[in-house]
Amino acid sequence: MAIIDVQNVSKSFRIPSVRRESVRDHAFDLFRRRQYERLSVLEDISFSVERGETLGIMGRNGCGKSTLLKILCGIYQPDGGSVTVDGGLTPILELGVGWNPELTAVDNAYLMGTVMGLSIREVREGLDEILAFAELERFANLELRHYSSGMASRLAYAVAFQATREILIIDEIFAVGDAGFRVRCEQRYLELRAAGHTVIVVSHDPTPVAGFCDRAILIDGGRVLMNDRPEAIAEAYLSMLRAEQVEPSVD
Amino acid sequence: MKTTAVAPTPPASGFRPRGTFKAADLVWTLIRTDFKTRYHGTYVGFLWALLKPLVLVLVLMGVFSFVFGDRPSYAAYLVTGLLLYDFFTDATKAGLNSLLSKSFLLTKTVAPSWIIVVTSLSNAVITVVTVWAVFLTVLAVTGHGPSPMAFALMLVYGLHFVVMVVGISLALSVLFLVYRDLNEIWDLVTHAGFFFAPIIYPIDIMPERLHFWLYLWPPTPIIQFTREVLVNGNVPSLKAHLLLSGETAAVFLIGLAIFNRYRSRIAEYV
Repeated sequence: MAIIDVQNVSKSFRIPSVRRESVRDHAFDLFRRRQYERLSVLEDISFSVERGETLGIMGRNGCGKSTLLKILCGIYQPDGGSVTVDGGLTPILELGVGWNPELTAVDNAYLMGTVMGLSIREVREGLDEILAFAELERFANLELRHYSSGMASRLAYAVAFQATREILIIDEIFAVGDAGFRVRCEQRYLELRAAGHTVIVVSHDPTPVAGFCDRAILIDGGRVLMNDRPEAIAEAYLSMLRAEQVEPSVD
Repeated sequence: MKTTAVAPTPPASGFRPRGTFKAADLVWTLIRTDFKTRYHGTYVGFLWALLKPLVLVLVLMGVFSFVFGDRPSYAAYLVTGLLLYDFFTDATKAGLNSLLSKSFLLTKTVAPSWIIVVTSLSNAVITVVTVWAVFLTVLAVTGHGPSPMAFALMLVYGLHFVVMVVGISLALSVLFLVYRDLNEIWDLVTHAGFFFAPIIYPIDIMPERLHFWLYLWPPTPIIQFTREVLVNGNVPSLKAHLLLSGETAAVFLIGLAIFNRYRSRIAEYV
């Protein structure tokens, strides 16, 4: 049985043409009919992932990749369709996880670790490893607001790799850190894969998708265009981009 | 470059199954980090935060015992009201801000949002419990300490108060995401509410027909009942207690209903 099953998922966001964010706005506009534009991000998405499989998701900017991931994680609810996830899930979204800038790296690791489902003891025991993986031992007690974005992202990956549950979801994999850190991420990722974790990787860089995935899907216009071997998807994605350059599409 | 040993991955059979989410550990971590961010990780910072209510207690008790001799009842009346109302304002304000200020936990991970709201009240609870302990000590030292019965009832009222505050916070936290000026409005409500709750005047000076409406404002019954047992040494009637429990349940359930209405879309609003 598939560990992740996505059936006919759709999602749109209401974008009020006049923003009303406060009680004052609501009170003054009470008698005016409110107008919305609906931005449909996902039209009809169906796919499934087998246990232990690595699935790549490709698509242009704004095609709905990140929205899809957030629905898989349970951060957004789909408008229609169904999502079945049969296992614990660890997301690394938008180049990192959320940090509290007022807290030190250690406190943030505790916070994110427990949010991701680790126990306090597991974080404590894994702390040295997390800091070593992120190469942040020297800055362990420095508040996050003093960190560079690269350092913060490294910490995010280190915590998430420590907390990885059965399914790992990575948005823009390996887009952080220097070459050495990337090598370590790749190594860790291959270990997770070898241990039987299910992985979903989202990228608009064809190299990791072709290199690391068992299968890939190509998303455009809120639908799954192709579901194929990763090399074929990478090829199709590149030719889609080339076609766009020759003949710019009018939105 | 430094090389780092990467830990062996747990075997496939050792996967953490879904549903073993360690809520207790998350709760504790959230409370700890809230405390740290508020007081910059130092107990001295916490002491500063306690200083204002402590000075209030000591000055009021001192001044009024000087003015009214050794009958501390008006001071005790006033301090009871002020401390409880301070807690109400503090806690609901923290609750209102909780989801927005922790939005980083909601848009990129799946933290249970109700836990974030509830744990945000911890600082206010810690403060009121500490100051209340000092207040009771002062009363005990001056020979007006509560009887065991009064103490037990006080705990019961405190519990009711917390449940109401949780309900109100749940509602405010999600509504604040939709109505971004709700913090200003809530400020006004709590300021006006200071006078709806009989803190600086005895409720008896208000006409009887208004009492029902005054008691609907959550801090009012808590303050009145606490004063009754702590200062006057009376126990309110069973009917009064049932009404209090009923009001508490109603406030909590309404808050929960409002929260549930928005909860699935929280990440879209923040």
